[in-house]
Amino acid sequence: MIYFFLRRVMEAIPVLALVLLAVFSLTHLIPGDPAVMLLGPDATNLQIMTLRHDLHLDTPLYLQFSTYMLQLLHGDLGTSLRTGRPVADSLRLYLPATAELAVVALLFSLLIGLPLGILSARKPGGIIDRILQLYTLCGVSVPAFLLAFGLQIVFCSWLDWLPVAGRSSAFAPQALTSGFALSGALFHGNVSMLADLGSHIVLPALVLGTFIAATLARFLRNTMLEALSADYILTARAKGLRQTQILLSQAFPNAVGPAIMVLGVQFGDMLGGAILTETVFSWPGVGRYMFEAIRTRDYSAIQSTTLVFAIIFMIVSFGTDVITALIDPRLRNGRSS
Amino acid sequence: MLTTRRRSVILSGLSSGFAALLPTEATAKQIDRSRTLVIAIGSDPIGIDPAMNRAEPVGSEIIINIFDTLVVSVADNTPNVEGRLAQKWNVSPDGLHYRFTLVEGVLFHDGTPVDAQAVQFSIERTRRLNPFAQASFAKVLRIEVVDPITVDFHLSSPVPFFLSLLGQPQAAIVSPKAVLSHGEDFSQSPVGSGAFRFVQYTPEVGLILSCNTDYFRGRSALDTLVYRIITDASTRHMELERGEIDICQQNAQLSALSMSDIQSFSHNPDIKIVEKTSQILRQLEFNNMRSEGPISDIRVRRAITHAIDYNGLANHILAGTVERAYGPLPTVNWAFSPTVQALSPNYDPAYARILLNEAQWAAHKRTLSLITFEGSFWAAVATFIQANLAVIGIDVTIEQMEFPSLRARHVAGQFDLALDGREPWYNDPDAHITIGYLSTLANTAMTFRMPPNNRLDALIRNAQSEPREDVRKSLYAAIQDLILQQAPAAYLFTSKIIIFQRKEVEGLAVRSTPPLNEYWGVSKREPLR
Repeated sequence: MIYFFLRRVMEAIPVLALVLLAVFSLTHLIPGDPAVMLLGPDATNLQIMTLRHDLHLDTPLYLQFSTYMLQLLHGDLGTSLRTGRPVADSLRLYLPATAELAVVALLFSLLIGLPLGILSARKPGGIIDRILQLYTLCGVSVPAFLLAFGLQIVFCSWLDWLPVAGRSSAFAPQALTSGFALSGALFHGNVSMLADLGSHIVLPALVLGTFIAATLARFLRNTMLEALSADYILTARAKGLRQTQILLSQAFPNAVGPAIMVLGVQFGDMLGGAILTETVFSWPGVGRYMFEAIRTRDYSAIQSTTLVFAIIFMIVSFGTDVITALIDPRLRNGRSS
Repeated sequence: MLTTRRRSVILSGLSSGFAALLPTEATAKQIDRSRTLVIAIGSDPIGIDPAMNRAEPVGSEIIINIFDTLVVSVADNTPNVEGRLAQKWNVSPDGLHYRFTLVEGVLFHDGTPVDAQAVQFSIERTRRLNPFAQASFAKVLRIEVVDPITVDFHLSSPVPFFLSLLGQPQAAIVSPKAVLSHGEDFSQSPVGSGAFRFVQYTPEVGLILSCNTDYFRGRSALDTLVYRIITDASTRHMELERGEIDICQQNAQLSALSMSDIQSFSHNPDIKIVEKTSQILRQLEFNNMRSEGPISDIRVRRAITHAIDYNGLANHILAGTVERAYGPLPTVNWAFSPTVQALSPNYDPAYARILLNEAQWAAHKRTLSLITFEGSFWAAVATFIQANLAVIGIDVTIEQMEFPSLRARHVAGQFDLALDGREPWYNDPDAHITIGYLSTLANTAMTFRMPPNNRLDALIRNAQSEPREDVRKSLYAAIQDLILQQAPAAYLFTSKIIIFQRKEVEGLAVRSTPPLNEYWGVSKREPLR
C-alpha cells in the first residue's frame, strides 16, 4: 500500500510540472493585457504603461516564469493582479464553498442514482428502466443554467420554498459567510444557521447532482446487467436467494467498481468549480474565481488555481483507486504485491 | 489494526483540528430587517481605499459611503459644489489659491479629529499612490496647514474644475492614524469619517458596513448596509422580487439593463424604478485620422449622421432608457450649448443619399467596418445602425470583440466606424472634451482620433485653464460648434441611470456624475406582510 502511494506521488511530479508549463504558456498566449482590463475604457496609454510597470508585466516572459517558479518552490502561490491579495488566501475562501457544494451534490446523486440504477437493472425495459432512460437523457443533455433557472422559478418564485441565491440570507447574522460554513453549523449544532445555510445549498447541489446522478445511474444499470448475467447469479438463484438479495448482495458489489471510478472523476471535476451553477446561484466558489481570473488575465491566479485543481484531481483519483481496491479484493492483492 | 482507544484519540484530534478551520459560532442576534439595507452589485469593488480607486463605479460608491470629501458636486447642470467636510472656501481671482475652512469637531471612525493635517495627508497620499489621480493633482504645488481647521491649496496653474475633482472618491479624506497603524492593510479595512463604518469584506460574496452613530450630519436611519455580489442579472431580478435585496445596482461600467427587466418591474407594485439623466454618452465614432477613403470625406460622414433614426433608437430599440444626445456634451452638462441642438443632424435618409451621391462613392464599394464592445446591448445598437445604413446603400460589417482586442484596434486606428462611449468621472466639460478631442492625445487612448487642428486645440487648452466661469462657458460653446462642423461622430444618446428598489426604501440620493448612490438619508418603512 505504501509502495503504491509513493509511486503515485512520484508519478504526480512530472505531470504537475507539465501542467504548469502548459498553463503558463497558454495564459500568456491569450490576447489581452491585464493592465488594459483593469483600467477600463477611459484609460490612457500612459496610465496603462504605469500600471504594467507596477505589476512587473514589462519584464521578459522567461523572467516572469522563473520568478513564479521560485515563488512556488517557497510555497507561495503568488499575488493576484486583479485584487492584490495572495492567491492562497482567495483559494482558502472559495475552495470550502465549492467543496461543501460538491459533497452535498454527491450525496444527492447517490440518493437518486444508486436506487435508480439498481431498480432499472432489475427489469430491463420495465417502467423504471423507461423512466431512467428519460431521466438520463434529460439529465445529461439539459444545460445546467437552464435547469437552474427552471428550479429557481418553480421553488423560489412559484412555491416560495427556497432562497434564490447566495450561501446565506443577507438578513441573517451569518450574512456573507465564507469557509466551511455548513460544516461549521453542523459541528456546532446551530439549528437556525443550519436551516438557513442548508436551504441555500439545496438548489445548486440539485443542479450539479442531477447530471452526476444520471451518469451514475446509467453506468450502474449497465454494469448491473452485466453482473446479473454472470454464472454466480445463476448459482445464487439455484440456491433459492430472493431477488432483492441477489441484486444487493451478489450483483451490486460486483457492479459498483466502475461506477465508483466514474463518480470519482465527476467529483474531482466538481471540486474544480462549476462556473455556470456558481454564477446563477451567486455561489462564492472557485469556479467563479477562476472565471474572473481568466476574464481579467490575472496570470498568477490562473496558474496557481490550475495547479491546485490538478493536485486535487490527483488526490481524488487516488482516493477512488483506494476505495475500488478496498471493495474489490482482486485489485487490492494485484496492486500491493 | 487500530485499537478503539487509539482510534478515538485520532478522531478527536482530527475533529478539533477541523473545528479550528470552522467559522466561530455566530451570535444569535435578532436582525431588524427594516434597519438593514441590502444592495446587489454585479462585481467586486476594485479598491475601497481612495488611494486605490480608479473611478471604478462599485468601489467609488462604497468609498463615498465610508468617507467624506471636502466638497460635493451639486448637480450636472452647474459647476457649483456644496460643502461637506469644508464649511466654506475661497478661491483667489487668478484661480491659483484655494482656502478651505473645515467643519469643526468632526471625528473619524477611530476617534481622531478630521483636521487640516488629515486633509493634507489624504490628498498627498492619493497623489503619491494613485496613478489614476496623479494627472488630476499634478498641478497642486503644495498643501499648507494654516491652523487645525484651515487648509490652503496652491496650484501651479489654474484648474477650473479643481473643486469638482475634490468631490471625487479619490480625494476622500482618510484617517492618518489608521493609515499609519494599518499600513498596507488600510485598503482592506478603511477608516473614514463617513455615514457608515467598514465592518467586513468577503471577496466574491459582499461587504458589510454599519452605521456611524456619531456622524456629524446626524446618524443614518439604517443600522447595517449589506452589499451582495450577484453577477447574474436574472438572479438579481428574482432576489429583488422576493425582497431579499432592497436595491439593484446597475453601475458596472459598460453594462446595460435588460429591457425586459424594466418592463416587468414597471408592472410590479412592490418595486420602484428610479430614473436619472446622466452624462454617460454613447456615440458612433468615425476614424477621423484617416486621410483617404470614404470616411475622410465629410459628406460621407454627414450622410451617415443623417441616416440614423435617433428617436427610433432611443424610444423603441432602447425602450426609453436613454435620451437623445446632440453633440459632444450631454444635454445636462452645464456647458451644453443650446445652439448645438439646432446644428445637430436630424434623421433624413433622403438627404443622406444626396450627400452620398455628391461624395461620388461608388455604389458597389459602399462597405464599412464597425467595431464595438461585447454584449447584447451593443449588439442591439450596432445592428440598428447597420439597418439604418443599409437603407442608404452602405453595407456595414459588425465586429464585437473582447475589450483588450477592441482597445488595441481602436487605438491603432484599424476601423471605419466604432460604437463607443464616454463615462466622465467628474462633473466638468473637460472630462468629455480634452481626452476626447485634443489632437495631441488622439493616439493615446480610445479617443475621437482628431486630426491636428490648431484652432480647436488652442480653444480646448484655453478652456481647460480659464478660471472665469462665464468665459469658459463661451469657450466650450465655440468648441462644440467647431467639433460639430467636422462631424467626427454621430452622437446617439445618453444612458439614464436606472435603479430598481423595493417600495419600502425611501430617501435614496443618486449622484449622476459619476453615478453613485449615497445611503446616508435612506430609510425603510416596515414592509407590509
